[in-house]
Amino acid sequence: MRFVTVLDGTVAGAERRARGLGGFLREGLSGMTATTAGETLVCYGDPDDRGRLADLAPTADVRLVRAPPRRPDIVVAVLAALAGTDPPDLFLFDGGPAGTEAAARLAHRTGGSLLTASLGLALDAEGGLGRRSVYSGHMTGRFRLRARPWCVTVDASWQESGLAALPAHRILSEGDAATGASPSPFIDLELEEPAADDLAAARIVVVAGNGAGGRDGVARIAAAAARMGAAFGVTRPVAMNAWAPVDRLIGVSGKRVAPAVCIVAGASGAPAFLWGVERAGVIVAVNPDEHAPITRAADAVVHDDGVAVIEALADLVAGEPGAG
Amino acid sequence: MRLDAESRMRDGERVMRILVAFKVTPDYEALRDADWVAGPGDGVETRYVRRILNCFDESALELALGLRDGPAPRRVEEPVDAEAGVSLGALTIGGRDTEPHLTTLIALGYERAARIDPSAALDFSPPATAALIAGYVRQVGGGDLVLLGCRSGPGDAGVVPFLVAAELGWPCLTQVTAIECYDDDRLRVTCAAEDGALALTLRPPCVLAVGNATVSHLSVPTLSQRLAQRGRRPDVLTPADVGVDVGVAAGDATTELVGLERVAHTRPGTVVEGSTPREKAAALYASYPHGW
Repeated sequence: MRFVTVLDGTVAGAERRARGLGGFLREGLSGMTATTAGETLVCYGDPDDRGRLADLAPTADVRLVRAPPRRPDIVVAVLAALAGTDPPDLFLFDGGPAGTEAAARLAHRTGGSLLTASLGLALDAEGGLGRRSVYSGHMTGRFRLRARPWCVTVDASWQESGLAALPAHRILSEGDAATGASPSPFIDLELEEPAADDLAAARIVVVAGNGAGGRDGVARIAAAAARMGAAFGVTRPVAMNAWAPVDRLIGVSGKRVAPAVCIVAGASGAPAFLWGVERAGVIVAVNPDEHAPITRAADAVVHDDGVAVIEALADLVAGEPGAG
Repeated sequence: MRLDAESRMRDGERVMRILVAFKVTPDYEALRDADWVAGPGDGVETRYVRRILNCFDESALELALGLRDGPAPRRVEEPVDAEAGVSLGALTIGGRDTEPHLTTLIALGYERAARIDPSAALDFSPPATAALIAGYVRQVGGGDLVLLGCRSGPGDAGVVPFLVAAELGWPCLTQVTAIECYDDDRLRVTCAAEDGALALTLRPPCVLAVGNATVSHLSVPTLSQRLAQRGRRPDVLTPADVGVDVGVAAGDATTELVGLERVAHTRPGTVVEGSTPREKAAALYASYPHGW
């Protein structure tokens, strides 16, 4: 069993991606540790980043290649050349857009099996068996990987893993895929870097759902959250109704939070949303519907109007010495 | 839009052809808890649940309408061709239950609306789905620009746009949130990249996968729009019509769903008592003295 992990260091976020790949290798693989031998292809843009990025690699053996940013097609060409006539059994990518595109294009090119957002991968007598979330988070599917190489991306939840402590990295080769590369089809790029993510570091998060009743209700919950010193998030229906900015969206298509306390007001509790809050220490659901799915996913349930309860709670928290 | 192929001419007018490939899915939120069990086949029984547009595809359909009806290019390096236009097409893969959505799109001004009836479930077969979409583009003349949602259920793999692009040999951009005409043959596209909001310029052909766009609801056609298109029916194609043997494509799946398990999100759900919101808030506040 041979594998190649692919660490894209051409755009920001390499450490997060390395944590995901490393966590998956340590805890997501089963049935193949005894014979596992792998290496990491590290793609970098700025030569000054080479050393730092090589140190992030989740395997001891590393290949370095300089590549232009946002070019999965070039990464795939590098991997295809690297594989030659004896490809490894497994190519492992991070689960971001570039990693997913590279995995898909590589599977298309090689005829290999493709599995995205993998929760785990086992090797058994029949070959590879991977798991991933399906049906908007309601179910987990088991997928048989029938053709090698297996082109697999790791689920975003693996990025919560710690970085592996490797004794030393060995550079197997260095290459340059940037010089002479075909021009990008995308030009005049302007990148607006995101503002600091208050949701990621928050101790308390208050989430407004559709039950807030409209833009005014959502704004009142946001104001109450601010008085509590809490970060504010919303469910997908709220964001899609433009009652709050999309960067506040929590769930599979938005952010994942892990506060000590998460108060969810007026959300039904769709699995795709619950994925975004399930790491919270305590989940409080405020919902007048006693049968809403969120009531079974919460530690505490308040059956009442979300806006009224959150505002009353904000009064209490803000009145605490040093609070608000 | 300046386009050179003769096939892109319409009554002497140069036209950019946009194809939106969309999926009609069951409304999973409408299923009861007890219904989430694996069926005798390889999926959950959802035939009785109402059908809706996949949310990302709905954004794609509305973004395409915005491109057709939107303002003129925002920056012009050369004179804009006053006769240039946008022609919209919509494609879905599915049975008769998709036709009400196609009829709505015809009323909204989609000039071409088609469904490919695969006669096999392709929910967990992204390569077969991508082959059909790419086959339509190649065989029927689908467009210069293909728009899709970045992900759709029940598979949620999020790879069909990339596979369509790979089939066609086109570039692909994902997590698209906005599209506008830039000049007479280029588009300005905004997407949510991993490192921030990215705006860029591109010249079709290209595949764009739409993500969390704030344009999220499809317009509703007026009665007069519906009456104006009354009698127009969507085209119904077979996989063979677009040069794909879907039996082979699905049967040769290199990644096959072999089992499903229910995901449980369960916590105690202790009810906080009180007769008013303020009393309940006070009880909640007292329950977690160290939590605030």
